[in-house]
Amino acid sequence: MTKQTHKTEETILKIEHLKKWFGDLEVLKDINLEVKRGEVVVIIGASGSGKSTLLRCINFLEKAQKGKIYVNGKQVRQQEKQLNKVRQGLGMVFQHFNLFPHMTVIGNVMEGMIHVKNMPKEKAREKALELLEQVGLSDKADIYPAMISGGQKQRVAIARALAMEPEIMLFDEPTSALDPELVGEVLSVMTDLANKGMTMLVVTHEMWFAKEVADRVIFMDDGIILEEAPPEEMFSAPKEERTLAFLKQVLPPQDE
Amino acid sequence: MNILPWDLTVIPQRFFQFADAALYTLQITFFGILLGLIIGLVAALGRLSKRQWISALSKAYIFLIRGTPLLVQLFIIYYGLTSIVTIDPIPSAIIALGIHNGAYIAEIFRGSIQSIDYGQMEAARSLGMTQGKAMQRIVLPQAFKRAVPPLGNQLIIALKDSSLASTIAVPELMLKGRQMGSSSFMYMEMFLIVGIWYLIMTSLLSFVMHRIEQRLKVSDHD
Repeated sequence: MTKQTHKTEETILKIEHLKKWFGDLEVLKDINLEVKRGEVVVIIGASGSGKSTLLRCINFLEKAQKGKIYVNGKQVRQQEKQLNKVRQGLGMVFQHFNLFPHMTVIGNVMEGMIHVKNMPKEKAREKALELLEQVGLSDKADIYPAMISGGQKQRVAIARALAMEPEIMLFDEPTSALDPELVGEVLSVMTDLANKGMTMLVVTHEMWFAKEVADRVIFMDDGIILEEAPPEEMFSAPKEERTLAFLKQVLPPQDE
Repeated sequence: MNILPWDLTVIPQRFFQFADAALYTLQITFFGILLGLIIGLVAALGRLSKRQWISALSKAYIFLIRGTPLLVQLFIIYYGLTSIVTIDPIPSAIIALGIHNGAYIAEIFRGSIQSIDYGQMEAARSLGMTQGKAMQRIVLPQAFKRAVPPLGNQLIIALKDSSLASTIAVPELMLKGRQMGSSSFMYMEMFLIVGIWYLIMTSLLSFVMHRIEQRLKVSDHD
C-alpha cells in the first residue's frame, strides 16, 4: 500500500523556542517545529515527555512561558480576542472526549457553529448531519452522549471539532481512553480525514497509525524533540538510543 | 373521654383560618429564595473570579452572613436601618431571607461549578468560545443540575426560617399561631395547626424538587 500525502510546501504552523514550566519543572525545553499544510505529524514518546503539553500549548489551553507560535504566518499572542479566533482554526480532540453531556450528539456538533460562528440553526443542523454522516453516526444524532460507546463519543468529538472548519486538527491521545476493540473505528475516521488532506498533529501510542498515516514522526523525550523522521525511517532505523529503547517497548517484537 | 388536656377537634375547625397566613409564608419564602438565587449566583461567580478583590469581596460576604444568625440580620435590616431608610416588614423579611440564603446558595453553586470537569471548559474554549459564553452555555447548565438537590434542601430551610419574620410583624403562619393562641388560650392546638401547615408545604416542595430532579435526569446514564 502506497501512502498518499497531501503535504504542501506552505508552512501552516511554526513553533519557535517554546518553553514551558509547571512550577519548577521544565516540561518543554526549547521546542522548534514546523508543520506544512496537509501534513500529518505524529508525536510519540513516553508519558511525561511533554507531548500532550506541547499540543495543548499550540491552542493555548496551556500557556507557554517563552517562545512564539505562528499560525498561517501570523504570531499568536496570549490575548483573549485573538485566541478565540485562532482556536476556531485549531480543532482539538481530547483523550477523554469532553463531549457536552447535557446536549444531544447533534447538539454537541452544532454548539460551536451556532454560538461561536453565529450560524443559523437550520444551516448548522444540516452541516452537523453531514459531519455525523462522515463519522458514521448520523443515526445517533438525537440521543445523549451517555448512551453511546467511547469510540462513538470520540467520533462525535471529531465531528464537533470539524464543525468549526479548522485548518489544523490536534489530537491528544484520542484512543488512549478507549477499549481496544473501539480503537479501530476512531483511527479509521482519522485516516479518512488525513486522506482528505487535513493537516493533523497527533499525539498517540498507536504505532500502526503512525506507520500508515504519518508523513513525519516526532519522538519527544524529556521536554525536547529528540528525533524526527518519516515513519519508515523512524521505525526501522532510529538514530537515537532513547528512541530505539522506546520503540522496543511499544512495538511488538519482530518475527525474524 | 378527655384523656388529653387539649381540644384537638379545634384543629380541623380552625385549620383553614390559617390559609392567608400560609400564603404570606409562601410569598416571603418564594421572593426570598429568588433573591437568594440571584445573589448566590453572583457571589459564587465572584468567589471563582481570578480577580483577587472580587473573590475577596465574595468571601467576606459569605463569611459575615453564614457566621451570624438570620434573626440578627433581619433586625439590622428592619430596625437597624431605620435611621437611614425605613423598610416595611414584608420587604424586610424578603431582603433578609435573600441575603441570608444567598450566602448558602453561593456555596452550593460554587461547589457544583467546581465539580464540573475542567475538560468541559477546555472543550468549549477549544471551539473558540469566550470564557463567559463557555460558562453560560456549557458549565452553568451542568452545574445547575447538580445544584438542584442541595437547593431543594435550602428552599425547605428557607421556608421554615421565614417563621422568624413573625418577630417583625409579618402576618405569616408563626405570627398567626401566636395571635390565635393568645386570643383563645389554645396554644397547643394553634401551634399544631401551624406545624401541620409547614409540614404540608415542605412536603409539597420536596415533591416538586424531586420531580424536577427526575426531569433533569434525561441526559444522564442508563
